[in-house]
Amino acid sequence: MKQATRRLLAHGTNATLVTVMVIASLCLLFVLADATRWSVDLSEGASNTLQAETREKLNLLDQDGQTLTITAFTSQAGKEEAPFKNQAVEDLLKALDAESQVVSWRLMDFDRERLTAEKLSVTEYGHIVLQRGQERVDISDRELFRRVGTGPDKRLEFVGEAAISRGFSQIMAPSQRVAYLLTGHGELDAEKSGPDGLSELAGLLDRERYEVRPLDLLRTDREGVLPTIPEDAAVVVVARPTQALTAAEEDALLGWIGRGGALLLAVDVGTPTPELLRRLGISVPDGVALQPEMQVPYRDRPIPRFRPHAITTGLIEDKLPVVLSHPAPLKLADAAPEAQVATPVLQSTRDGWIDRGGALVGGGAVYEPELDGAGPVDLAVALELRPGGPMVRAGRPVARVLVLGDGDLITNGMIGDAPGNAVFAVHAMHWLAGDDRRLGVATGAVGRATRSRRLAITAEDASVIRWTSLGLMPLLVALAGLTTWLSRRGR
Amino acid sequence: MSAAWAIFKKELRVWFVSPIAYVFLGAFLFLAGLFFVMGIQQNGEASLRAMFSNLSVSLLFLLPLLTMKHFAEEERLGTFEFLMTAPVPLWALLLGKWAASLALCALLLLLTGVFPLLLAIYGDPDWGVIATSYLGLLLCCGAFSSAGLFTSSLSDEPVAAGLGGVLVLLPFWIAGGAAHLVDWEPGRQALRQLSFLTHVEPFSVGVIDSSHVAWFVLFSFAFLFLTWRSVESRRWR
Repeated sequence: MKQATRRLLAHGTNATLVTVMVIASLCLLFVLADATRWSVDLSEGASNTLQAETREKLNLLDQDGQTLTITAFTSQAGKEEAPFKNQAVEDLLKALDAESQVVSWRLMDFDRERLTAEKLSVTEYGHIVLQRGQERVDISDRELFRRVGTGPDKRLEFVGEAAISRGFSQIMAPSQRVAYLLTGHGELDAEKSGPDGLSELAGLLDRERYEVRPLDLLRTDREGVLPTIPEDAAVVVVARPTQALTAAEEDALLGWIGRGGALLLAVDVGTPTPELLRRLGISVPDGVALQPEMQVPYRDRPIPRFRPHAITTGLIEDKLPVVLSHPAPLKLADAAPEAQVATPVLQSTRDGWIDRGGALVGGGAVYEPELDGAGPVDLAVALELRPGGPMVRAGRPVARVLVLGDGDLITNGMIGDAPGNAVFAVHAMHWLAGDDRRLGVATGAVGRATRSRRLAITAEDASVIRWTSLGLMPLLVALAGLTTWLSRRGR
Repeated sequence: MSAAWAIFKKELRVWFVSPIAYVFLGAFLFLAGLFFVMGIQQNGEASLRAMFSNLSVSLLFLLPLLTMKHFAEEERLGTFEFLMTAPVPLWALLLGKWAASLALCALLLLLTGVFPLLLAIYGDPDWGVIATSYLGLLLCCGAFSSAGLFTSSLSDEPVAAGLGGVLVLLPFWIAGGAAHLVDWEPGRQALRQLSFLTHVEPFSVGVIDSSHVAWFVLFSFAFLFLTWRSVESRRWR
C-alpha cells in the first residue's frame, strides 16, 4: 500500500471516529437536556402552557397505556372567528400530544370530512370527540369558547383546556355512578325542564357520568318492606321535599349514612325539616338568610361567600359566584356530634342576617337586632362522619353529607342565572361520591384562557398596512443598495 | 477572538459593498411582508404567527443561498489557500463566517420589526409571543447557517453548495410530517425530534423551552463541527 493511501486511511479513519463520537455526544447531550428541561411561558397570562392538572391527567392516561384518540372538527369556514378557533384547538392538541405518549389527534375539516363526522355522529362545527376503547366523551364548541366583556371590549376566549381536561376525567372514570333522587314528597323533579326543575342538573350529571334515577322509598314502605337505599347508589339526593319524610324513610337514610353513604339534602324556607338533620347536629332556624350583597335586581338572592372546602376551591380560583334564592339559614349545634366534622361551605357575609319580618326600608328588608338573627349565616354545610362514631358503623368508609339551605340553587332557573351554581352542584356531587380527583375540573371551571386578538382595521388601514409591508420596506432596502452601488461606482 | 472578529467584519463588508446583501434583504422583506399581509387577511388577528411559520420554512431555502459562497466561492476564486495559510485558527474562521451570517439574519429580523409595530397601531399583539417567536427564528437562522456553511465547505461550486444546503435541511423539515405516517412510537418520536418544526413551534406560542433551545444550539454546533472536519480534511486529502 502506498504511503499516501496509508496516510489517507489513517487520517480518514481518525476523522470518522472523532466525528461519530462527537455527534453521539451531542445526541446524548440533547437527551440530557430533554430530560432536565424547563420552560418559561412569556405569552399573556402564561396561557400557552398546559396546566399542572392537565399534565397530571395525561400522566395517568400514559400509565393506563391505552390510546386516546382526539378527533376535532374545524369551525365553520368563512366565519370571522374560525381561524382563531381552529388555531387555538390545534395548539392545544399539539401540546397534549407533545406531553403524552398515548394521545393521538386529528383536526378534520367538518365540510370536507363529512363521512368521518357522520361515522362519529357529529353534526356541528367545532366539535371534539375523545375516544378510548369503548369510552367516548363529546365536547361541543360552546364548551371550548366563551365570550367575555361587553361593547367594544367584547371578545372570544378559548377555554378548551379545561373542557378537554374534564373530558379526560370522564373518560378515566371507572364506571357510571348512580345518583338516586328521592321522590314522593313534592321534591324537585329531575325530568322537569321549567325554571324549578332539575333537568339541567341531570344533564350536567349525565355528562359527568352520573345516572340520575328516581328513588321511591314510600312504595317499598307501603309494600311492607323496610325501605332501603340501593347498593349501587353513589349519592342520594333529597331535593327540597315539601312534605315530611316518614320515620321509616328517615331511618333508611340514616342507615345509608351509617353504611358510609353520601347524602345531598336541600331544604328551604317553609319546607319541613327532616328529623335526621337534628341527628347530624344541624337545625334550620325560622326566617330567611339575607345580606346586603344581592343579585341585582332581586332583594332575596344573596351571593354568599365561599368558605374553604374541596367543593369551593375551584370556584374561588375561577371567581365564579354562586347565587341563592330566598335561602333558609342553617345552624350548627354548639357541640358537634362525636366523630363528625362540620364545615360551612357557603356563608353569608358578616353583615348578613336571619330576617324574621319587620319593617321594610325602600322596599327591602333590613336587619333589626331585636327581631332578626345576627350573621354571618351558614347557608350550606358539609359534614364528614368518621366510622366508629355514633352515626357510621366501624369498618365503613367516611360518610359525606352536604346540607343546602336553598333548594333553588340547583334548579334550572338558578343554574341558568348564576354561572357558579352548575359548578357548585357538580363539585358537590364529586365530593359526595368521593371522587375528589375530579373536583378541580367540573363543568364551568375554565382554567387559563387564550383570548382572540381581532384587528380593528378599515379598508384604508388595510391599504396602509399592505403598502408599508410590501412596498415601503423593500423599497428602503433597495434605495440603500443603490446608494452603496452609486457611491462605490463614484470612487 | 480578534481573528474571528476580523473575519466577521470582512464577511459583512463583502456582503454590504456588493448587491448581494441588499438583494437578499429586499427579497426577504418582500416575502415577509407578503406573509404578514396574507396572515392578517386570512386570520384578522393581531398576530405574526402565520408570518413566522412561513418565514421559518422560507429560511430553509434562502439561507443556504446566502451561505453558499462562504467556502465554495473562496475555492472557486482561489483565495481558499490564502485563507488556510493565513495566521487565523480554523475555529476563528468558522466562527467569524457563521456569526456574520447570523448577524445578517438578525438584521433581517430587525427590519421585520415594522410588522409588530403596525400590529400595535391597529390591535393589541401579545408582545411575549412576538419576542419568543423572534428568538425561535434567530435560533433557526443559526442552525440553517451552520448547515449551509457545511455544504459550502464540501463543494467549490456555490450553486451546488446552495442546493446541497437545501437538500441537507429538507429532511429536518419533512421529518415532522413523516412522523404522522409512522405507527411505531419510538420511530415516530425520533422523527418528531428530528424536525425543526417541532422545536420552533413552542417559540411561536410564547414558550421558551430549554430542550428546544438546546436542540438548535446542538444542531448548530454539530454542523459547525462537521464544517471544521470538512475544511480540516483538505489538509490531508
